[in-house]
Amino acid sequence: MSDNKQVVADIDRSLYDFKDIENEKDFYRMEEGLNEETVLKVSEEKNDPEWMREFRLKCLKLYHEIKFPDWGPDIDGLDMDKISSYVRHKSEMKGKWEEVPEDIKNTFEKLGIPQAERESLAGVGAQYDSELVYHNVKDEVAAQGVIYTDLESAMWGPYADMIKEHFMKLVPPTDHKFAALHGAVWSGGSFVYVPKGVKVEIPLQSYFRLNAAGAGQFEHTLIIVDEGADLHFIEGCSAPKYNVANLHAGCVELYVAKNARLRYSTIENWSKNMYNLNTKRALVEEGGIMEWVSGSFGSHTSYLYPMTILKGDDSKMEFTGITFAGKGQNLDTGAKVVHQGQRTTSVINTKSISKDGGIGTYRSSVIIQNTAKQAKASVSCDSLMLDSISRADTIPGMDIRTNDADVGHEAKIGRISDEAIFYLMSRGISEEDAKAMIVSGFANPVSKELPLEYAVEMNNLIKLEMSGNG
Amino acid sequence: MSRDLNMKVNVLPVLTYNFLHVNDSALQLSDFNIENLSSPKAGDLPAGVSVREGVSFEEAGELFISNKDKILVAKEEEVNPNGVTAARDASQAIRTGMGADVDGLMINMGAGVDVYTVDEGVKVDKPIILRYDMADGQGSLSGQVIHAAKNSEVTVIMTYTSDQEASGFHGVSTRLLAEEGARINLVKTQTLGNGFIHFDDIGGACFEEGGINLVTLELGGSRVWSSAYVYLAGKESSFTNNMGYLCRDDHNLDMNYVADQRGKKTESSMNFKGVLMGTASKTFRGTIDFKYGSSGSVGDEQEDALLLSPDVINKTMPVILCQEEDVEGRHGATIGQLGEDLLFYMQTRGIDEEEAKRIMIKARLESVARMIPDPEIMQKTQYYIQNII
Repeated sequence: MSDNKQVVADIDRSLYDFKDIENEKDFYRMEEGLNEETVLKVSEEKNDPEWMREFRLKCLKLYHEIKFPDWGPDIDGLDMDKISSYVRHKSEMKGKWEEVPEDIKNTFEKLGIPQAERESLAGVGAQYDSELVYHNVKDEVAAQGVIYTDLESAMWGPYADMIKEHFMKLVPPTDHKFAALHGAVWSGGSFVYVPKGVKVEIPLQSYFRLNAAGAGQFEHTLIIVDEGADLHFIEGCSAPKYNVANLHAGCVELYVAKNARLRYSTIENWSKNMYNLNTKRALVEEGGIMEWVSGSFGSHTSYLYPMTILKGDDSKMEFTGITFAGKGQNLDTGAKVVHQGQRTTSVINTKSISKDGGIGTYRSSVIIQNTAKQAKASVSCDSLMLDSISRADTIPGMDIRTNDADVGHEAKIGRISDEAIFYLMSRGISEEDAKAMIVSGFANPVSKELPLEYAVEMNNLIKLEMSGNG
Repeated sequence: MSRDLNMKVNVLPVLTYNFLHVNDSALQLSDFNIENLSSPKAGDLPAGVSVREGVSFEEAGELFISNKDKILVAKEEEVNPNGVTAARDASQAIRTGMGADVDGLMINMGAGVDVYTVDEGVKVDKPIILRYDMADGQGSLSGQVIHAAKNSEVTVIMTYTSDQEASGFHGVSTRLLAEEGARINLVKTQTLGNGFIHFDDIGGACFEEGGINLVTLELGGSRVWSSAYVYLAGKESSFTNNMGYLCRDDHNLDMNYVADQRGKKTESSMNFKGVLMGTASKTFRGTIDFKYGSSGSVGDEQEDALLLSPDVINKTMPVILCQEEDVEGRHGATIGQLGEDLLFYMQTRGIDEEEAKRIMIKARLESVARMIPDPEIMQKTQYYIQNII
């Protein structure tokens, strides 16, 4: 067991926490603050079509009108006057890894992205601050007709109408203040289209790196999985730690057509000065399946509740999530589901761990509309408290408007049992290792849903947090 | 006296998404009358029990204010949960399920409070019964404080009745203090008429080894608010709550129950069993709150809601808040209609669907009614259930 402990000690936060200095020569950085001028500047930088420019201005107006949420973690430390909405490297996006600027390439090399692409991914998008710097999809996947590109160029190509039809329709800017903010200053992100019947055998991945201090990242991910198609999309996020607030207000819109399946996996490890106010939503048609796998480890403050609308009859949703709230973190996470179609089913399974003064809140909503006859929903949320200076709160909501539905809910809060620790210690395992093993076991239902290399990363993150070096 | 009411009540201890419309409930009425501002009398009281009648709401609250430090057991290490609403009710002598707006109404209307005190060590074996028999068109607002001194025990039964077709307004505030080793058993049955607006607001606190047991049946009324906030302040104190409800036609029931566990090794158990029919709607808020210092405590909350019509609305907010490592908190909810297997079983025994539903409603509600410790009131309640279904 001592060998194992050595591995724990070897993991270094610098894996994510290294900083690359961004100089004025290579980087363009928009001045801090949010007003019409900055929004128009972003629009100009992005070469927006006219409709998008108008849309951004409408969103800015909404941003000023909509109030901050009154129910979640405190976001007083977030001052938009000190956040730059747009930072980019002066070079263009590349399709070949060798052509990516050296400094950015180094960052992603350290994070192991190109290696992962070579070994296990069908395509990769890498976003550095506000812009995608690299995008590539394997030839055989492209040959199937799969589109995986940056959203900006797609707006001018053959998929322009499809993007206009879907962009921020699932997450309208009126949804909440940060959806409006996103609409005003969004930049970067990916567009994925999987044609009818195409099954992408290996995952696509987007990696988001926010390297600049005091900046915001507002990438938009739009995925359309057409009838009978199948896709696994992986999203990874990280940033170095600064002593000023950074903001991530991305938006993910997922359309799952009839009998299609989409799995969307996220390992989020933003630095602990990050306000992660991200919005993710999926619309599932008849017989479609939406699967979410979500690991939240980083950020100072998170509001994150991926939402699924089960519109079509017999559509399904499964959410598996883990949140680890450590020192200085307030992670308010969970899931939302709306059942509209008949015989729709949803399963929400979450695990939450709180340690060293961290606040972990599981928050959810399950809505069963009157049309959702024979719907079934099951929610299970387990929280583990590792000390008494932390918090683990469970705030689930259910709104059921038909009798012809089955809804079950289970929540448990507890600690690591003394008996389990005693048992492991009696077999020569130290108390510290015993606790780490039990926590890894607690997280197992989530890690087993991830591809092997991501499961390993997640387990490493758990060990890192358990060792107090997170 | 005719007046308007505009109150925000049943505020969730922590706010959540506004689109769910569960963060609070609006109690709004216009042009309603309240003529009766006093509680019914209990008759001859057992030895060791005394009552001060018609005390002002504020004066009756002094018992809790003078014990505030002991009830709140405040610790510097406490960290607030996200969206906490405690400050809203900070003005209350003791926090109640419905909150500060009920205090405001009681004070403004000049409602009288009867303060019952059970002397130290006195264990009353016969229940004290308060019967509210409401006439059609009547309005009533009144309160009680039940104070059980050290090692005492008392059972209080309150019944709210009227003709089935009667209308009116009925509001009750009941505040409880169970001192060290004391036990308060409070039973409330509500079988008011179909036009009644009714609220029942409870606030309570238990010191070391003290206990509060609530049994509540909300069976009548058109718009009903039923709530309790109980502090388990002392070591090994306990709170049990068993509630049964029937919500039919276009009636509405709004609940907010909180077990605030502060002492070590405290225990809470809350069970809610109910039936929704017609176009009825119900909002259930149930919170177990393990505060810092409540090590060794357990909390359990179970909801079983039977939905018998396609047009009912059932909202459920089961909340567990926790700032203590060594606790066990559980919540379970089962919401839905009668299972096909059960219906099939019943049908093979010659029982049709309608009869099967009646049997299941009766079974749910009678399991709570059987906890009423007075045979006459228990039988009347069972008779009411039988009749209504």
